[in-house]
Amino acid sequence: MRTYNTRAFVGLTVAGALAVAACNFDITNPNSPPSIGPNATRAQVDAAAVGLLAALRTDYANWVLKAAILGREGYRLDTADPRFTTELLAGPLDASNNAFGGGQWQPEYRTIAAGYAILNAIGSAQITDAEKNGVRGYVQTLQALSFLNVLNAHTQDSIPIDVNRAIDQPLAPLVSNDSAYKAVIAILDSARTNLQNGGLTFAFDPGPGFEGFTTPATFLQVNRALAARVRAYRASLGELSGAVQTSYGSAGWSSCAACWDSVLTALAQSFRSTTASLDLGAYNVFSTGNQDLPNGLFQDPATAINLAHPSVADSVELQTGGTLQDKRFLAKVTTRAAFSLACLSSDLSWTRYASPNSPIPIIRNEELILLDAEGNWFAATGNKATAISDLNFIRQTSGGLNPTTVTTGSTDSVFVNELLKQRFYSLLYEGGHRWIDMRRFGRLGQVINDRPTGCTSPSISADKVFSHLPINTFEVQARQ
Amino acid sequence: MIPRVLFVSFALSLAVGLGAAAQQRSIRGKVVSAATAEPVAGASVAVAGTPITALTNDRGEFSLSAPEGAVTLLVRGVGFKHAQIPVAAGAGDVTAQLEQDVFNLEAVVITGQATGVEQRNLANAVTTVSAAQLNRAPTQSLESALQGKVPGALVQMNSGAPGGGGQIAFRGVTTINAGVDPLIVVDGLVIANDAIASNMNAITAAAAGGNASNQDNPVNRIADLNPNDIQDIQALKGASAAAIYGSQAANGVIIITTRRGRPGAPRFSVTQRFGTFGVANKMGARKFNDTTEAFGVFAPKVPRDTATRTVIRGLCNLPGGKCPFFDNEQPLYGEHQLAAETDASVTGGNDQTTYYLSGLVKKDGGIAPNTGYQKQSIRANLDQLLGSRFKVSLNLNAIHDLSNRGISNNDNTGTSTYLVYPTTPSFLDLRPVDGVYPVNPFAPSNPLQTFAELRNSEDVWRVLGTSTAKVDAVTTPTQRLVFNLTGGLDFFSQRNDVLSPANLQFEPFDGQPGTVVLGKASDLRLNLVGSVVHTYTPASNAFQATTSAGFQYENRDLNLTNLVGRTIALGLQNVSQATSLTSSQSEQPVKNMGIYGQEEVLLADQRLLLTAGIRADRSSVNGDPRKFYFFPKAAASYRFVQPLAGVDEMKLRAAWGQTGNPPLFGARYVVDSTQVVGGQFGQFPALQLGDPNIKPERNTEIEAGLDATFGKEFATLGVTVYRKVVTDLLLVQSLAPSTGFATRIFNAPGAQLSDKGIEIAAAVSPVRTPEVNWIVRGTFDLSRSNIDSLPVPAFNTLGFGTSLGAFRIEQGKSATQIVGSEGHVGDANPDFRAGLSSDLTYERLSLGFTWEWKHGGDIINLTQLLYDAAGNSVDQVPAGNARISAWSDSLNPQTKVYVQDGSYLKLRELNVGYELPSSVPRHFGMRTARVSFSGRNLLRFTPYKGLDPEVSNFGNQAIGRNIDVAPFPPNRSFFFSIDVGF
Repeated sequence: MRTYNTRAFVGLTVAGALAVAACNFDITNPNSPPSIGPNATRAQVDAAAVGLLAALRTDYANWVLKAAILGREGYRLDTADPRFTTELLAGPLDASNNAFGGGQWQPEYRTIAAGYAILNAIGSAQITDAEKNGVRGYVQTLQALSFLNVLNAHTQDSIPIDVNRAIDQPLAPLVSNDSAYKAVIAILDSARTNLQNGGLTFAFDPGPGFEGFTTPATFLQVNRALAARVRAYRASLGELSGAVQTSYGSAGWSSCAACWDSVLTALAQSFRSTTASLDLGAYNVFSTGNQDLPNGLFQDPATAINLAHPSVADSVELQTGGTLQDKRFLAKVTTRAAFSLACLSSDLSWTRYASPNSPIPIIRNEELILLDAEGNWFAATGNKATAISDLNFIRQTSGGLNPTTVTTGSTDSVFVNELLKQRFYSLLYEGGHRWIDMRRFGRLGQVINDRPTGCTSPSISADKVFSHLPINTFEVQARQ
Repeated sequence: MIPRVLFVSFALSLAVGLGAAAQQRSIRGKVVSAATAEPVAGASVAVAGTPITALTNDRGEFSLSAPEGAVTLLVRGVGFKHAQIPVAAGAGDVTAQLEQDVFNLEAVVITGQATGVEQRNLANAVTTVSAAQLNRAPTQSLESALQGKVPGALVQMNSGAPGGGGQIAFRGVTTINAGVDPLIVVDGLVIANDAIASNMNAITAAAAGGNASNQDNPVNRIADLNPNDIQDIQALKGASAAAIYGSQAANGVIIITTRRGRPGAPRFSVTQRFGTFGVANKMGARKFNDTTEAFGVFAPKVPRDTATRTVIRGLCNLPGGKCPFFDNEQPLYGEHQLAAETDASVTGGNDQTTYYLSGLVKKDGGIAPNTGYQKQSIRANLDQLLGSRFKVSLNLNAIHDLSNRGISNNDNTGTSTYLVYPTTPSFLDLRPVDGVYPVNPFAPSNPLQTFAELRNSEDVWRVLGTSTAKVDAVTTPTQRLVFNLTGGLDFFSQRNDVLSPANLQFEPFDGQPGTVVLGKASDLRLNLVGSVVHTYTPASNAFQATTSAGFQYENRDLNLTNLVGRTIALGLQNVSQATSLTSSQSEQPVKNMGIYGQEEVLLADQRLLLTAGIRADRSSVNGDPRKFYFFPKAAASYRFVQPLAGVDEMKLRAAWGQTGNPPLFGARYVVDSTQVVGGQFGQFPALQLGDPNIKPERNTEIEAGLDATFGKEFATLGVTVYRKVVTDLLLVQSLAPSTGFATRIFNAPGAQLSDKGIEIAAAVSPVRTPEVNWIVRGTFDLSRSNIDSLPVPAFNTLGFGTSLGAFRIEQGKSATQIVGSEGHVGDANPDFRAGLSSDLTYERLSLGFTWEWKHGGDIINLTQLLYDAAGNSVDQVPAGNARISAWSDSLNPQTKVYVQDGSYLKLRELNVGYELPSSVPRHFGMRTARVSFSGRNLLRFTPYKGLDPEVSNFGNQAIGRNIDVAPFPPNRSFFFSIDVGF
């Protein structure tokens, strides 16, 4: 009996152990798909192409909000996080935090890397050669946009461009801001070539954010619109005095008068139109749907903590007729009970984004018409009368205002005043246009400083207007 | 490998002849305490050289069948020294007197998966906490009951929220990015201690994105255990003691043994407790004198703030524009709801069968409305002898607990109480008027309304079961061969419900009024553990050699699903009635397997103990799931008997060992994130780069110590020093973001972390008479960690960016250093910790208490920063203003003003009891009756200015506890108890 027990027991133990040893321990990840690789199927290319849009929009709401604070389009009076009323207005900027001073870096480079993951795999994908070109042109256009988003927050000379490297390779070298702008222009132009060879249709659907631009030929118009914007930025930066350029942390942008002309060339190939809707354009789309991302800029206007700067109301013009305020003002903000925090207050809530499903523009027709005004004023091949008529078109169509008093004989400074004002109201809370514009025309000194002597209760030191964000700590550290 | 070990065992078992059964005779007897002559129940009586054992019943009586001829009985009782009683041939009645073992020197401590040695020979500092020490005061979660009792263990709760959530960390910092919790083994079964977030994040948006975050103040599931069921807890603190548990034991092992049955007539005992919980500390708020002072903070600007000024004028409506003062914390955290607990157990059995059955029903009201904790637990532990050599044991435990934890910790939506109160002026009364909560015009929410109407419940059902079969295959005077096979199952299902109705003040903010969260988690763990133990003692008794070998297999499957519905009408609560729905799912299947062998030799008259062992492990979480990783250990101890006058015994010991810490699930995969954009599925590279070559961390520890007993067991002292070194360190390294990845996880080549420390355990038994028994236990420990080598740039781990204080891993620095804008500003590691417990009984009276003292250890106090930034701290003028201006100084920002000393001295437990004279209970038909008053955390002394220095916004963390962001306030509890026995 005892012997039998022992044997049975040992037998059971052995059987159990053998069963255990035979178990397969190689478990594939049940939660996430592997990244795109060689011989990708059409579905994998599609998912990666759509994923690029997801990567792109990750940082957009944060950028719009943060740049609005830096350029004093608005505040975030957040009782839960004092950094919106201290760090972003008075400094010091914390380069270690992606959500604050260290931002507009990591998500942008992630988008660029997601693009390279596609570009590196697309050669062996199971789609036609023309479709491969279409994918390349689409990816490069969005990569250029991401690089530009980095540059919009960083004017200093520390931008890595050549980042398509394996993880164990040395990091991409840092280049000057001037070179970085040139690289962005080159990527957009390379994308143009690929799109031109991209056949009639894409292998994927860019989705509702690109309505009207879902074929290689029409997507090219978005590419050219971005090219116009980059060239206008580049041209205006090149006009700044050396001292101002140095104060931005850059060794200098070479003068590029021809860039103004190329703005007009690019616009001609874009979707700029005075007959189409001013809202025609490319958008980051958001929704409250499953696994989607809602638009984080929407807040209930009655209880919002993201508020428009009081200057949005202070400088607003009245519509023709003299009673109602600028249509853009009425559409984008609404008054609410005043709310104060840290010596800041505002009674203006944003209505720019009507719901968590509202898209945020990447670039749209209204900006292109204003770029057309800018280009025509400054370019050798431009026409100042066209510049004035562009401004008036925006004033009347978008704002309901009377025509401008600026004439073709006005000084550049007077023209820029009017241009920036129209850009302020037309592109309000859409992606840091105010901050970028004041910087590229050398007017950061005119940005309203609400707390020139700080705040006593609570104690906050004097506000300052930043020209750029510091380079992300982790980028700096990884290079030490 | 395994089959070979088993084959050898098998062969051995057959080779050793099974002796023919001898003729039997009966021996009866009684076991009593030598000091008091009281019977000793539950003592084991074994016939030396045979598998025959019996347990004593309540009256200390036993009976067994022994071979003919003279035999020796080996008698052991918990709390007593063992005795060897020779029984002459023909003698049938025996009385064994056991000497009290005041310091448990002869208690058997587990040193292998299936073996143990007596405390007095032990080569490691293993702390044993007995049931009596555990249950001085009722607790919601086991961690609290260990505070101040285990030298070398930092035991801290994460907040004062009901239902638990705490961390046990042995011996300093063991890892940076791998698992942080010790392995918990209950009756041989490795059980789950997962902390599954409620996804309150859907409301608080504490972490960006929609996924569950670890700022949800989760409960780790050790909280499910019923402390009353526990016989004792042994803490294996480091690799040298825990090596035999292999690749999961780097954080130490907590071995929990539950109570077992005793033969005899059924014996009932019932404990009924009533008590209450109360808030232990509040933040306070600034008192405003008049409208002028209030305008300065809440509406400084004219004319734009006119509306706010009008509001303030309406509130500061006392004569002369004076402001009233309302303590808004009091109506929220001032509750004293009834807490009640009923424990019942019954034990009994006979020579062949014993049982222990227990039940617990507990209901603790919280300190805030709609918070609280309930637990029900039943347990059955059965032991059945089949013949003389085969024993099966079955342990079954079913648990249900339900906690309602309100809302706390960090948020980005102005919903967590201490993110609302900082900006809410004290002249605003938040209490409802005619059932309607006033809108808080100064912040997004009214916490009184939030707590009254928001639901955050966690409902857990759990089943733990183990069955063990033990075969005494061979027992001769010189040899013993035992097989053990344990199969275990641990299953729990956790359901989290969060319902934030549409009428809450903050709900319309995101355009989607009403939020409902349904989280379901299930975790199944299957264990199979087999062992063979061979003990050889030659006839000369020159030595005793114990050889053991075995295997352990573990299969885990954690499955998490979570649904968040938004825009749901008031009164509805089903996610399918929400307008928009977000789902998430995560599965974490893991398979682990280990095999081990160990040799223990006790020689030189049982004075010298030598141990060596090795374990090999493989796991599906490693890059190469087929590869075995080896973890060896070795130890020696020598005992000097009466080496000096006044010294009873002294032991020198040293132990060395290695353990592993496996990579967290998923580290080996390189995967994409997924999202839907415009109705289409998209995927893009994940933020963290996985590593297909990932392997476990290796933890090498050496400890040495001295244990001594003085003055005829008047006092005992144990001093231990250790040094542990962690190599193959798993690092989540921040990459240059231009690579596209934020971080990567990998075994950083050359990275090394080390800890060194001292632990002292002392006990004194100044009075030991039949009337008075007094024992005082003290603990002291300190540890220091160092990042010896870091092949990557220094990086921040947890925190909210450097300016708000962050933990930074930096070569040559303490692993727990805190940096701020100005550089190094503090260290979370305490200078030292000490505990003092006392148990005094004087006739029928008893008094027990535990103090815990933590000296040093900094905390990042962001709660106070929020108050200061809003100009609303209780000490705002001038201290708060000075702090915030120092912090926000743009030229010389000083984070250190918010990195504050977290020292504390707490009276953890107090128990005063009275055993009624036996005539009283007998009058009511009871055997015994005892009444007692007990309390937990009744007193606290701390210089810390936050709510409580026991705080962790991010829950259980290797590095990065001690971040204080709007926690649930601490509580203290009082109970009145009646224990009766039938």
